[in-house]
Amino acid sequence: MKPQLREFIFEELIFVAEADSFSDDDNLLEAGLDSMGIMRLIMFIEEEFKVSLPDDEIDPDNVESFNALEKWITQHKS
Amino acid sequence: MSVDKTGILQALNPSDYFTLAMDEEIRNENMAGSLCGFALELDSCPNIALLEARINELKQRFPIILASLQQRGNRFYWCQREKEEPIFFQTTCPENTDVEFFIKNQLETLINQQQSREDIAPLSFHLITTETNCVFLLRWLHPLCDAVGANLILQYLCTDEVEKRLAFDTPASEPLLPLRLRKFNLWKKIKLFMKAKRYIQGLDEQKSIIHAADKAPEKLRLASYRLSVAQTAKINKIARKQVGLTGASLYYIGCFMRALERMNPEQEGEAYCVPYAFNLRKQKALTPLLGNHVGALFAQAPRNLLANREQLFAHLKQQNMNVIRQQLDYAFLPVMWAASYLPLKKHGENLRLSYKHKTERSSFWFSHVSLPELAKQSICDAEITGFLHLCQVSSPPAIALLSCEYQQQLTLSYNYVEPLFSREWVERLHELMVQELLDEVVEPVAFS
Repeated sequence: MKPQLREFIFEELIFVAEADSFSDDDNLLEAGLDSMGIMRLIMFIEEEFKVSLPDDEIDPDNVESFNALEKWITQHKS
Repeated sequence: MSVDKTGILQALNPSDYFTLAMDEEIRNENMAGSLCGFALELDSCPNIALLEARINELKQRFPIILASLQQRGNRFYWCQREKEEPIFFQTTCPENTDVEFFIKNQLETLINQQQSREDIAPLSFHLITTETNCVFLLRWLHPLCDAVGANLILQYLCTDEVEKRLAFDTPASEPLLPLRLRKFNLWKKIKLFMKAKRYIQGLDEQKSIIHAADKAPEKLRLASYRLSVAQTAKINKIARKQVGLTGASLYYIGCFMRALERMNPEQEGEAYCVPYAFNLRKQKALTPLLGNHVGALFAQAPRNLLANREQLFAHLKQQNMNVIRQQLDYAFLPVMWAASYLPLKKHGENLRLSYKHKTERSSFWFSHVSLPELAKQSICDAEITGFLHLCQVSSPPAIALLSCEYQQQLTLSYNYVEPLFSREWVERLHELMVQELLDEVVEPVAFS
């Protein structure tokens, strides 16, 4: 799951000089993931992983890192 | 028809054409064209020699900033000038002059400077010095770059390390609109185009509420207000509650709609409609520096939703989510590309006028301006104490709200056209806006 997330975020949403050294716990919001980016990311996740993420759970705690995203997506995978 | 290629440095990008069309629209109103400005308030005079050296370095790396924008055949190009014109200017406030008045007057003079599109410097820097402080203005003609690009230019000037300055615009990127479009096949592009058309037709069902008086535009005015740290913190907290992670912009837009409505609930129209731009660059990317790399979207709220804040913000939030879910953000890209081949007059009409009502679509212009990421809050040894934002706006709507947050303080820059709006009207509007932002509206409030 994380490789797809990393590819999408670094290809489409955020510029990071050295993506390989960006850890799964590093803060994506501080790295530049903004509101529009979060919405795009959610659309990508729903399509790629066939999950539905409730709007009322779109919260910094769920999108702040790759680990947080994985945990959030896993909770909604049947 | 063959085009005279003498002196052409670069063709205008497809996404630069919508800013060019707006430049034409504003010029046709006998105003200065689509000039924009970022003004940095400084605690002291910067190191002038250092600042000039940075500007000279910028000129050498990006010669287009010295170019002349010219039409050749049906298309537009950045062309080399016969003689290099200066782009760095200094003005000093005379003794015994009201400093605040002098600075505001200088900024308004510079943003209203009438010069032909071919003659005006697409980018210029203006240092206004007074006995107590300084203001450094970066002024640009919108087809040259968008606000993110202007921010990158400021960031460049504020970067002390040579190797870090070299990282700007490296590697040089091609324009992002065609780059993004290449990811879609022909049928996908057509589908997106039709989707955007239906979206606009949907917006145009409701006649926009426009508050500008029916008068000939004369001059752009600036009214700028800085809120306190405590007020800003409270606003951010409420915004987060009302619109969540969809961004504070929607909160400001909703509050401004309500403030305008309270100014005159009897104003003709059915809905507020507000265009806003979104950035096609990756966040934190230092490239591309020049050119416009944005898409366009709209926030619209029917009048009957304005009386109830909760309903209004829920509507704006849902609308924003739907836009992304339906890929309407990308839907405008083929439209922007196709429109770049229209004559400027037709392009301008399409941008501004409702298909159904043939009246202005935009109730006001809005932009929340992200500030440059600075290692130090200074430029050439002078500390930056605040930011103001300027932009020419077409009439109607004749009013633009530009917001930014710096050092935990929100600044609201109202750019309005006289005599379509007056200073007193905008002052009253700001009072209502602050009440709305702070959710301190004293009931009962007049809504139609």
